[in-house]
Amino acid sequence: MRPEGEVGALLERVREARTERRVTRKGDVAVDLDDAYGVQAALGEGRELKGYKLGLLSPAKQQQMGVDAPIHGRVYPEMLLESPVSLGQFVQPRFEPELAAVLKDDVPPGATPGAALLAVGGVFLAIDLLDSIWEGYDFRITDVVADNASGGGFLLGEKLADLPVEGELRLYLDGELLAEGPLDVLGDPGEKLAWLAEEVGGLKAGQVVFLGSPVAAQAVRPGTLELHGPNGSVLIAKLEG
Amino acid sequence: MPEQQVSVDVRALAQCLDDAWENRAPIAPLTESDGLTVEDAYAVQSAWTELRLGKGEGIVGRKIGLTSKGMQEQMGVDEPDYGSLWASRYFPAKGGRVELPTDTFVEPRLEGEIAFLIGRPLSGPSVTPQEVLAATEALAVAVEVVDSRVVDWRIKLADTIADNASYGGFVLGPWSRSLRQEDLRTLGMLIHHNGSTVVEGVGAAALGGPARAVAWLARKLHSFGVALAPGDFVLSGSLGRAVPANRGDIFVLEAHGQPPLTVAFG
Repeated sequence: MRPEGEVGALLERVREARTERRVTRKGDVAVDLDDAYGVQAALGEGRELKGYKLGLLSPAKQQQMGVDAPIHGRVYPEMLLESPVSLGQFVQPRFEPELAAVLKDDVPPGATPGAALLAVGGVFLAIDLLDSIWEGYDFRITDVVADNASGGGFLLGEKLADLPVEGELRLYLDGELLAEGPLDVLGDPGEKLAWLAEEVGGLKAGQVVFLGSPVAAQAVRPGTLELHGPNGSVLIAKLEG
Repeated sequence: MPEQQVSVDVRALAQCLDDAWENRAPIAPLTESDGLTVEDAYAVQSAWTELRLGKGEGIVGRKIGLTSKGMQEQMGVDEPDYGSLWASRYFPAKGGRVELPTDTFVEPRLEGEIAFLIGRPLSGPSVTPQEVLAATEALAVAVEVVDSRVVDWRIKLADTIADNASYGGFVLGPWSRSLRQEDLRTLGMLIHHNGSTVVEGVGAAALGGPARAVAWLARKLHSFGVALAPGDFVLSGSLGRAVPANRGDIFVLEAHGQPPLTVAFG
């Protein structure tokens, strides 16, 4: 047993694949979930933290991966993209329609779901451009956590909505409806933010939290992206090769 | 502001600008004689604000200028600029109307804008438009009077920055919380001048959207070690061209879903 060595090996592997923008095979090193989060944190050392993304929100997905809670990844400034987006910067891009909450107040660990809701300054339409170094997205839970929960890049809408938000998201690429799903399957944002605050030792005012997608990740290709949401909100972007 | 290598007499230029402000006597462009850089210009602006604060002036917020592509091209720049909103030139409207004293200004021009009431501290190297909106308490339609202490508006970028980004004064419509939930980029605005429509503006004309302009301001101020604070007003940039104003003119500003704002030059 060389836990230090195994964690170090995983860190090197993820860092290398990310830097060189290439896929790698599912890890054979065995680390626990805490160590995987340690790798994730180490990859972002010294960078400004803009927020988090949530993953594995549905119980079905969690069961499939052998966990009983969502996972989270970190969001750094350069991951917040503007149109046009070059898909060439990613290893294996996919995308999901989401909502993101932007905090106006801190959420300390131990905050109640209601307190977390009060800290939300507004929610926005969002696109989560996932990326993974693990070939074919074939990974164990610790692999994906170490690889920053498949964090690639994000787009954000510019029309604020106050919670609660009801309705559905519809994702189009080049005019073709790729996916649609109701927002209520995402559950209560307050509970998720409170859970996240507990996990990460508190959230800060100004941070953005991507709240997850009501539909499965979609294959992405260059084209015109439209995401339609509640109250006539829309996010439009050009995806380039 | 950090210590900087400044090649001009910042205090002297600030005093020059203040004399021009007080006496409504415009001066020659600073860039013509003093080789003023943009960094110098912000130092002059800062010194002038200090000078005015010493005379009992107050700061109620900030204004963003040069937010339109057209203005940036005209000035040969690729980023906006900013100035301070001085309290002595805040003209509160009553019942949606206000009369401005024309002879307070040198060569006033009127612009239609969106004003932000900042509700939370806002600062950082990577502030986003979404953070701005989340930290905003309310929004209002605003009339900004821009004015120049430089004769005939013969300004280059450094002139307008030193000249408090050509601040003249401002008027606000009622603060609206519901405006937070509108898409400010698509918000339309008309300015009527003596009964004729002279400006058809839209939110996206200000740097792609008013919240983007405020995000730029927060990042720029951060580079000077300054933060936007709760209670600050921010004028986020003109939604159309600036219209010259003369004594006797009546302007009515209409923005989608908001009550009209009437500004008379008395």
